[in-house]
Amino acid sequence: MSIRFDDVRGADPIAQPPVLAPGHTPASVTERISEAVTTKLTKTPKWWLGGFAVGFALLNVFLFAVTNLFMTGIGVWGNNIPVGWGWDIICFVWWIGIGHAGTLISAILLLLRQSWRNSINRFAEAMTVFAVACAGMYPILHLGRPWLPHWLLPLPGTLGMWPNFRSPLIWDVFAVSTYATISIVFWYVGMLPDLATLRDHAKARLARFAYGMAALGWRNSSRHWANYEVASLLLAGLSTPLVLSVHSIVSFDFSVGIVPGWHTTVFPPYFVAGAVFAGFAMVLTLVLPLRPLFKLHDFITERHLQNMAKVMLTTGLIVAYGYVLEIWAAFYSGNEFEIFMVLNRFTGPYATQYWLLILLNIAIPQLLWLKGIRSNVWALWAISMCINVGMWLERFVIIVVSLHRDYVPSNWAMYSGTKFDVMTFVGTMGLFLTLLLLFIRFLPALNMFEMRILTPEATKAHGEEK
Amino acid sequence: MNQGSNPLPEGVETLGRIGLIAGLVGLALLGAGYATDREQLFRSYLTGYMWMLGLAAGALGVMLLHHVTRGAWGVVIRRILEAAASPLTLGFAAVAFLPIALGTHSLYEWTHAEVVAGDAILSHKKPWLNEPAFLGRSAAYLVLWIVLAAVFARLSARQDETGDRRIALSMQRWGAFGVVAFILSMTFAAFDWMMSLTPHWFSTIYGLYVIIGQAVAAMALVALAGLLLGEGPSPALPLQPRHLHDHGKLLFAFVCVWAYFGYSQFIIIWSGNLPEETTFYTSRLNGAWKVTTIVLVLLHYALPFALLLSRNRKRSAKALAPVAVLLLFARWLDLHWLVAPAFSANAFTLHWLDLAAPLALGGIWLRLFTLGLKARPLLPANEPFLKEALAHE
Repeated sequence: MSIRFDDVRGADPIAQPPVLAPGHTPASVTERISEAVTTKLTKTPKWWLGGFAVGFALLNVFLFAVTNLFMTGIGVWGNNIPVGWGWDIICFVWWIGIGHAGTLISAILLLLRQSWRNSINRFAEAMTVFAVACAGMYPILHLGRPWLPHWLLPLPGTLGMWPNFRSPLIWDVFAVSTYATISIVFWYVGMLPDLATLRDHAKARLARFAYGMAALGWRNSSRHWANYEVASLLLAGLSTPLVLSVHSIVSFDFSVGIVPGWHTTVFPPYFVAGAVFAGFAMVLTLVLPLRPLFKLHDFITERHLQNMAKVMLTTGLIVAYGYVLEIWAAFYSGNEFEIFMVLNRFTGPYATQYWLLILLNIAIPQLLWLKGIRSNVWALWAISMCINVGMWLERFVIIVVSLHRDYVPSNWAMYSGTKFDVMTFVGTMGLFLTLLLLFIRFLPALNMFEMRILTPEATKAHGEEK
Repeated sequence: MNQGSNPLPEGVETLGRIGLIAGLVGLALLGAGYATDREQLFRSYLTGYMWMLGLAAGALGVMLLHHVTRGAWGVVIRRILEAAASPLTLGFAAVAFLPIALGTHSLYEWTHAEVVAGDAILSHKKPWLNEPAFLGRSAAYLVLWIVLAAVFARLSARQDETGDRRIALSMQRWGAFGVVAFILSMTFAAFDWMMSLTPHWFSTIYGLYVIIGQAVAAMALVALAGLLLGEGPSPALPLQPRHLHDHGKLLFAFVCVWAYFGYSQFIIIWSGNLPEETTFYTSRLNGAWKVTTIVLVLLHYALPFALLLSRNRKRSAKALAPVAVLLLFARWLDLHWLVAPAFSANAFTLHWLDLAAPLALGGIWLRLFTLGLKARPLLPANEPFLKEALAHE
């Protein structure tokens, strides 16, 4: 459904930067992208080793935090009554949200025929898978008896005990596990042709063997391609509702409860938009440094940055819409608890976090209206970092600030995370970083065959076919 | 390549005449209703008004979406959307709002001072729900939509005359502003005009639910206009199956999002089970309105979902048209389902005026729509992306 702007480039006022820098052939695309993967192990770039060291160190922090949690119990976290949900669910929602950009890019933008997605979809999908892995840790860690995670599933057992099907937490189990499965399958299936390319390009025997096994016998036949096209369309069709359903169900975790600040009907679309908002911020946070490191300026052009910034601006405005309606509805409802909730956010003990959230999530991203900001990598990176923090604060405000002062003032209490909360969160970042660096070192981080389609040679051949 | 130089089919003029006659007949019926059952008239009129507004404002929303995304799907139907959401049709919507402004006392409980005085919640809401504020806001929404439609009509005309390529960029910028302004204004219009029929009840997704319904109406209209203008040996509009496919897919997506918003609202209220909120569903899920609810879900979601899954149906204007007609009916049913139980929670109502109001307003709107179609060439000849949008892919 997109329009190609290639024929109107130049001095034209409506021209846009290309999605692939001029001068590339299919061979040069393959060469440049596979280079990062086929480099000898001994020639691994220093920044990669440094990054991996940091990621792995943080992963060990996670190990330490979790070991302590298992040995001592959930008391090591700051959760207590009235704030029974703290950093664990904040970070769970934060990570799950980040994954959404990957699914949106790989599924919805595919259905909308947006060819600019071709260079960033693989990376964003990988980010989805790793972010879901990080998110998936939290519910299990919070079980208290983490060796019994299968109790979350409705398994017929001798205990005769079933999960409560009316609880959104069990919906979450289904939603997140479906999401993880489809994301992994989509990511892997999409990688098959490129794995075969790597198999054919690899010099070391072990690499040839490993990529060959992973490529599942891909031979580039037209039959393979026909099947591939159908499969990716079906997977995109399956993933599209998942973009909406997963975070809608995450929003149900809160909104079906009757806590003021949680129970409002606009939550599902507003959470979904927030998830995409956070996800695109994270894609930019990661892609902007990788672009110079791997010299990917030809593949991730200004067009990509512009478009990602626009998606962020749009989803950010939907989030702002949610905030406005929440405040409006509280006063409109005339419900004193709803009004108190809003005033408590504005002026209560966590007012700093609330206003910081508004600044980082709503005010600063408005800069993205300016084209100059959207094409300035430093400004974009700074804004995306603001959004990463802002979206974490959003969940903090929703969860903690709503819970810490409930209906009965004698229950009121303050909440803060402990050092183990922090360590667990930082540790999941270590897990994420480790997986991501392994991915960009050993798998093609950009989609080679979809980028080849964008070369003039391929476009021409496609045109002649008709 | 056919650049759309073919004349409009005669059907357009015929349709316009039918619209005018239907409109006049409908107006006469409404006049009779005013004389016989004034209370019922205003209720039926509000539903009919929102239905007609869905066609005009829905087209405005879809047009803004097209301009801001520069989607190729929108270039070929731009004139259809411009005719549906012209300053003329939206100006008519503003005039047609007058009966509602005059009927506030019949429609809105919160306009009764003695009721408000005896009700703590309604007294609390008085700064928002009072007649001057309500009328002021309503005027603001209507003026905003007319201004937006006028801006695009003017930009479009200038583009036709001058061929200045920068106009496409202006349209994109206005589109970005317009989408934000439109969604905010329509949200509060839905709150004011429909949600406040039951002034104690509130739901924050209500505005989005109404807006997506309007988008369904607009795309159903596009599908029907495609049948009128894009068929035959020398169609006025060179619509390829690919274009119809895109429009069908959008219609499908909007239908799904409508169900998503509706279901989200339901599950949150049902699970929360708070008395101040459940009133909306207790009247609609039990007893008198239960069947209507089931029929609404079937006609507005289940059936169109199943029908629109088919690729072939989306690629043929003839096959798509019955689904579009079904959805336009379902739009009216949805609005009836939103409005009527507010007045009769315990008994299903269907008055002959419920049919007269959409006949009158829809008929006149149809006449103005056909005038808009005739006013300008059906393809924006100077649109920079016209060639690509027309190209078969």
